[in-house]
Amino acid sequence: MCCSIRGCRHDGPDRSDVCACGDTRPPGQHRGVRPVSVADPEMLDAPEPVEAWWRRLLRDPSALLASLVLLIVVFCALAAPAISPHDPFASSRAIMQPPIWAEGGDWLHPLGTDGQGRDMLSRLFYGTRLTLIIGLVSVGIGGAFGSLMGLLAAFRPGLDPWVMRCVDVMLSFPAILLGLALVAVMGPGALPVIVALAVATVPDCARIARSVAVSVMQQDYIEAGRALGLSNFALFTRYLLRNCISSIMIFLSLRFGQIILIGAALSFLGLGARPPTAELGMMAAQGRDFLLFAPHIAIIPSVLIFVIVLAANVLGDALRDVLDPRLRS
Amino acid sequence: MIEQILKRLLISIPVLFGVLFLGFGLLILVPGDPAIVMAGPTATPEVVAAIRAEMGLDDPVLVQFGNYLGRVLQGDLGRSLISNKTVVSELAAAIGPTAELMFACLIWSVPLGIGLGTLAAVWRGSLVDRAIMAISVAGVSLPIFFICLMMIQYLGVEWRLLPFIGRGGPLWTIDGLRHIALPALSLGAIFIGPVARMTRSSVLEVLKLDHVRTARAKGLSETRVILRHGLRNALIPVVTLIGLQVGYLLGGAVVTESIFSFPGVGRLAVGAILSSDFPLAQGTILVLALGFILINMIVDILYVLLDPRVQA
Amino acid sequence: MKRLLLTAAIVMTGGLAQAAEITILREVDSNNYDPHKTTSRAASEVLFMMGDTLVSLAPDMQTIDTGVAESWSVSEDGTTYTFNLRQDVQFCDGKPMTAEDVVYSINRWVDPETKSPVAWRAGEVESVTAIDDYTVEYKLKKPFSELLYQLTQSFGTIIDKDTVEALGPDFGVTGFNGTGPFCWSEWTPRDQMVISKHEAYDWGASFHANTGPASMDKITWQIVPEENTRTVGVITGQTQVTQYVPYIALEQLKASPGVEVVQSDLAFWTYFMGFKIDKDTVSDPAVRQAINLAVDQAAMSEDLFFGVVQPAYSYVSQEALDWNSDLDDQLLKYDPAEANRILDEAGWARGDDGVRAKDGVRLAPTAYVFAGSTWGKISEAVQAYLREIGVDMQIQAFDATVAWGKLATQEFDMFGMSFPYVSSGDALNLYFRSQNVPSPNRMNWIDDNTDALLLAGATAITDEDRQAAYGEVLEIVHDAAVWLPLYHEPMVIAQSTDLETVVPHNIYGAGLYKGLDLKFRE
Repeated sequence: MCCSIRGCRHDGPDRSDVCACGDTRPPGQHRGVRPVSVADPEMLDAPEPVEAWWRRLLRDPSALLASLVLLIVVFCALAAPAISPHDPFASSRAIMQPPIWAEGGDWLHPLGTDGQGRDMLSRLFYGTRLTLIIGLVSVGIGGAFGSLMGLLAAFRPGLDPWVMRCVDVMLSFPAILLGLALVAVMGPGALPVIVALAVATVPDCARIARSVAVSVMQQDYIEAGRALGLSNFALFTRYLLRNCISSIMIFLSLRFGQIILIGAALSFLGLGARPPTAELGMMAAQGRDFLLFAPHIAIIPSVLIFVIVLAANVLGDALRDVLDPRLRS
Repeated sequence: MIEQILKRLLISIPVLFGVLFLGFGLLILVPGDPAIVMAGPTATPEVVAAIRAEMGLDDPVLVQFGNYLGRVLQGDLGRSLISNKTVVSELAAAIGPTAELMFACLIWSVPLGIGLGTLAAVWRGSLVDRAIMAISVAGVSLPIFFICLMMIQYLGVEWRLLPFIGRGGPLWTIDGLRHIALPALSLGAIFIGPVARMTRSSVLEVLKLDHVRTARAKGLSETRVILRHGLRNALIPVVTLIGLQVGYLLGGAVVTESIFSFPGVGRLAVGAILSSDFPLAQGTILVLALGFILINMIVDILYVLLDPRVQA
Repeated sequence: MKRLLLTAAIVMTGGLAQAAEITILREVDSNNYDPHKTTSRAASEVLFMMGDTLVSLAPDMQTIDTGVAESWSVSEDGTTYTFNLRQDVQFCDGKPMTAEDVVYSINRWVDPETKSPVAWRAGEVESVTAIDDYTVEYKLKKPFSELLYQLTQSFGTIIDKDTVEALGPDFGVTGFNGTGPFCWSEWTPRDQMVISKHEAYDWGASFHANTGPASMDKITWQIVPEENTRTVGVITGQTQVTQYVPYIALEQLKASPGVEVVQSDLAFWTYFMGFKIDKDTVSDPAVRQAINLAVDQAAMSEDLFFGVVQPAYSYVSQEALDWNSDLDDQLLKYDPAEANRILDEAGWARGDDGVRAKDGVRLAPTAYVFAGSTWGKISEAVQAYLREIGVDMQIQAFDATVAWGKLATQEFDMFGMSFPYVSSGDALNLYFRSQNVPSPNRMNWIDDNTDALLLAGATAITDEDRQAAYGEVLEIVHDAAVWLPLYHEPMVIAQSTDLETVVPHNIYGAGLYKGLDLKFRE
């Protein structure tokens, strides 16, 4: 398959085999590079039954494992208040208790306590919650706006140059810079981080959506739909959106991991979530003061971030293989 | 070709304006009185009034933007509230180290990534391929701060191999090399994965091309086919893609510099934000964005120069 | 490839040539290095090394020794000080120092134009004049018994007029010119301050083992905000000396080969929480006393600071000059039962939620503290103790950059603070004079008697008079329980055994003072 290399500048690690870097030139500037991520026309007419791709996904052991991990993580985050053994904000005199597998650990604090004697396990549940919220909300909002922009650009070619210029400017601010800028203006906190990550997701998502949508728009059935007298709204939602959504979702699922990493990095630097709330990146930063004496305080949240992001990436790759088989190299 | 390059330069003009406007907009967006923000929390009312007059904060926004552009073009980004040094001089001292760090990171991670990616492509589907791809997914999933902390803990503290505080000196001195080693290793570690992935898919593509098939048919050894025809052709897109990953590296550099007390632009930006040094924060963010655009522009032009398809 | 790695490994691990250069780690930088425009400890640390003062302070924190003045005399009425200067002193740029430079420096310090936040430390200056090239007459409007102690501080650093005028606002930012054992090399804010040996220097005071020139060729003050990195920096030998090591790490550091930890007991740096005494919640002295009795400073010292700090019950160290030892057995120590009894007796009854109230006033004082791990730990511990006696303290933490502004308002009931001082009089004059409301007298302690006694102490001519006046002030404020003293912070220095053992100094918390005794072991 052919993936245009041009104009791919999201600031995540490149997944060129996903073609996150679609051709984004306005139509007049095409250089004989084929658009990407087009689903089979047959698929568009008669989508495969839902069970099929689920089943195929679950047949891949790594995808199965990744989904399981994510399910558990999401469950722990949702149920944090119910399953936390202790108050995650209450400090105690039992500081820097080791986790259960280390010498001196006990079941009262299975993962030990942090530098202020707070229960690590409970903080981890709450921390995961905030980390996931930051990731999901920013990917969700950014993805929605980005898709809308990209799809509209394809749907109304008159809008295209404007939308893409706007996207170009937005691309000049990578997520970390947007984060720094917003925190400089609003002060450290979870909100500026979410806004920055959402804004940073918009242009990349708009590019993907547009490149997929442009090729969908060239299909005969859009013309057929028009001939049938469908309204623009119906054409947009029923044909365009429905046919582009899987590619967009694949992109966003791969994006999710990077967003979590950037959010955690900002929190680690003290620019994100503020104490006493728990956030995984912030917990790692707090643990850093005790790295020499109680390394688990920094290592456990870091490893959890790694596991979440890894699971999201593995699942995203598997989803791509299943939903968009032509993307497989 | 020249036309293409000119076109590319023209396209970047609105982008440049956009970035400058955003840099300027930071001050407008700030909650509260921008003059107080610029003057700092401890300034007296007279100082605030002076700054208001000097910056023309009562003028219409467009006039203010014009003035701001004028000052930026003259290289006047104000003075740091904390140190009273000019923002330009603080930035000038920080840009070199950041460039060094980027260089030191790329010099080892890119060749290694390309090597691994090529291996994976050559033995496509084999255990080696799967292992390399697994490592690269794991690599992009690791939080950069975790890598840095582990580097300090093991290479720095346990085994006492390398220093982990500050810069030590310019890159070409022994002390400078020793000090940049750990930051460059950490930053490079997150970059191998993406490079390996890019190389792998790029090499796979090229191997399908006609002239490679011909070479193979002529009976050239597989190694020669890959080195002479595959890798060489695959490298152009890979090198271009690397240039386009600057944003990703930048994010890593901000964290890496902070953790290793490495005096670059990223650490400067974080320090400025944490101490509410608004002029300095504004300046560092503007410079980072400008650098990002500039590198992208160079990469785009390189692409035009290198890619035979574009010349057609 | 292997050979390349090997070469690289040799390059990487190859040590430095043993030049007399050291790196000193610290937590924060100063905003500038102009002695009259900053009060930060970070500035003083470097200014002591780059400059000299008229007189200097011995490590016992009591004895005044020579500085650029080799002798001095005080007039009978205590208002005129005459300093005889050394004739061999020169600036880093080679210019000889004369009485004119001293006059210029002191005048700039007290000039209202300079807006020095610490001008009061120079006393109420009538005039400072040069009698001849090497004699300075320092005339006060009123006697100021603290003067010589204040003149040892970095604010009294002798600076060069030409450099100040040439650099304008960049003085202490891009350059400096002093007469100290080290000279300004380069400052990268929030990263490094580099100073190098002043070759001509040989006028150090006699209490230094080395009176000059310094043994070190170059000193790099490196900023490392993270505790753990500083600690492992000491362990791995990347810094030769630092006083900014976390208490938690002291045992580990003491056990590490190649590291030595030295500690000074003359710790004149005190942490306390103050009460704004005209607020409903804390205006009743009974409440303030009860709070003092409710907090277990000894346990806090043990749990939070690993027993390294000294629990404080007095407002200044009991070792400090002019401490009133009559108060030693009247200090309020941990007794929660007594605290509860006092509150019950005073009519503060517990409500349903366990929080006491009286006449519609709920005992829930708001405390402003600095954000960060230290005050976070302290204030949360105090909060927990106060809950035991039915006081529901609310904590609000502010970043250091905004905290100073917040602490100058009337918004809070309690506040957390720490401060360095040279003597009781130094501390009392700073915090308890009514003219220092709202800051640093954040307690709103307005009392004519206190003001009169402070004036009497400051203008006393004999030691006895001064001691009596300050002693009485100490008694008044301790009786009124306007503070909750928490602990005295010791001076702890972690150093490499490559260096001769450092004698920690306590002047303004700058443990290395002039850096003259920093020396590699032979």
